[in-house]
Amino acid sequence: MTDVVIRTEGLVKDYGSVRALNGVDLQIERGEVFGFLGPNGAGKSTTIRVLLDLLRPTAGRAEVFGVAPVDGGAELRRRIGYLPGELAMRGRQTAGDLLQHLASLRGGLGSERIVPLAERFGLDLDRPIRGLSKGNKQKVGVVQAFMHAPELLILDEPSSGLDPLLQREFLDLVLEARDRGATVFMSSHVLSEIEDVAGRVAIIRAGEIVDLDDVRTLRHRAGQSVELEFADHIDVEAFRHVPGVYDPEVEGTTLTCLLRGEPDALLKVVANHRVIRWAAQDRELEDLFLDFYRMPVEDQAVKEVATDGR
Amino acid sequence: MAADTLPVLTGVVRDQRRSLALWSLALAAVSAMYIAFYPSIGESAMEEMIATMPEDLIIAMGYERIGSAAGYITSTVYGLLGPILLLVFAVSTGARLVAGEEEDGTLELELTSPVERRRVFVERLLALWLDVLLLVAVLTLVSYALVQAFDLDVGFTFLLAGSAGMYLMVIGMGTIALGIGAVTGRRAVGLGVAAALAVLAFILDAIGPVVDVGWMTAISPFSWYLENDPLTNGFDVRGLLLLAIVPVVFAAAGLIRFDRRDLMV
Repeated sequence: MTDVVIRTEGLVKDYGSVRALNGVDLQIERGEVFGFLGPNGAGKSTTIRVLLDLLRPTAGRAEVFGVAPVDGGAELRRRIGYLPGELAMRGRQTAGDLLQHLASLRGGLGSERIVPLAERFGLDLDRPIRGLSKGNKQKVGVVQAFMHAPELLILDEPSSGLDPLLQREFLDLVLEARDRGATVFMSSHVLSEIEDVAGRVAIIRAGEIVDLDDVRTLRHRAGQSVELEFADHIDVEAFRHVPGVYDPEVEGTTLTCLLRGEPDALLKVVANHRVIRWAAQDRELEDLFLDFYRMPVEDQAVKEVATDGR
Repeated sequence: MAADTLPVLTGVVRDQRRSLALWSLALAAVSAMYIAFYPSIGESAMEEMIATMPEDLIIAMGYERIGSAAGYITSTVYGLLGPILLLVFAVSTGARLVAGEEEDGTLELELTSPVERRRVFVERLLALWLDVLLLVAVLTLVSYALVQAFDLDVGFTFLLAGSAGMYLMVIGMGTIALGIGAVTGRRAVGLGVAAALAVLAFILDAIGPVVDVGWMTAISPFSWYLENDPLTNGFDVRGLLLLAIVPVVFAAAGLIRFDRRDLMV
């Protein structure tokens, strides 16, 4: 039995004249929690829909458990739990009825886990779907994806709509699945949503994988926006050559810069002055994408840092 | 019904319970009202009324047969209101069951479950056929009950012959809506094509005899259904066979394309 659970090679998907995927290569191994990051419209859902045989590739190959989704058919999907990115459900039935129905599509598999999972997420099974909030609908989606304890979980933007507490609960569920040997492939447009559980992360942009790394390297590369306010005027030159500091700018008594890697060197330079206020914020993934598409010089810098980070 | 053997169909029908009950009520009420109306007018009054109408209108509406109970029921319940109500139901339901639910995304969890795509299509088609069967059965039984109650001269077999034709004609149009929807993935296209064809079939059947052009009734499913007056003459095998071709052809076309194309849930 192969240890590669998901493999795509040069996967291309066109919608009419629009190219949604332009040669996606992925390899996800058994037992991995794999993050699939990218802005909206980058091709995350398209890739996922190819894996579930909703869409057929224009060119290239996709394999799940060593079989093309179109050949694997229903038997292949039996091994997968899927949480759609935009969950649409008919409204009149109750959440419990819908979940029972979805279990019956699997020959009843997982129906005994509906109640415990619903309790864990505080989902009222007796309420009609259409009266549910976005968060509660998402709970229905989570329950149906996990209830049959599948070997592979494909989760498209799984924590959208869940409040932070339930997001935590959800991530625990992901880790439990991993601990029993399941493979998890989850997409998001926000790194922070998946960085706590994901091992490796691929970044997709405009239908191409632009980066593939483990999550720590990625976080390091993304860096932090640092803002420091000093008691007196300072000279921006003092920060130009500090290791890990990029794009320093001084406005009045305030320094802003991008910090990658350890803050140690910056702190030691800063320590020569009196600091009134400081803020350091993890950068959004969008900023990271901008990095990938900057001037060649900047690209060079990114690569250097990447090598350092390993 | 076995939820384990036909889970998709079971899910669809369970979802429709309320709407099926309302449609049954509407059909029962309309059939009962019209048939109950007949004895109170009496055959002679009916004939007097028709004598005042222009001849072409009488032919177009099929009112030349309205003098007998079988003719009256054919012209009203079986030839007009029954088919119209059933077609509205079948065409809208057919367009929704595959293309509509694909468009609004509710089909996604079913299509990504361990049920073959073909099976999703077939069970949804069967659900439509079963829905219409139920509604036609209601219409038939209510009609028969009224026929019995007023002691009208229409045998059960003759009602059944009419109902069989009506059933096949209606699932034909419903299957066009479902099949075209499954081919295109567009609810509006399935709905539009099927509704247009149903109206066209009705118009050809109505004006064909007036302008006396044979091909019009030859290609109209509505004529295949009623041309030989099943309520008076019983089963018309040729007409029923022609009617049966429509759902089979469009079901096959829908199934083949649905199995191969991208699904945009």
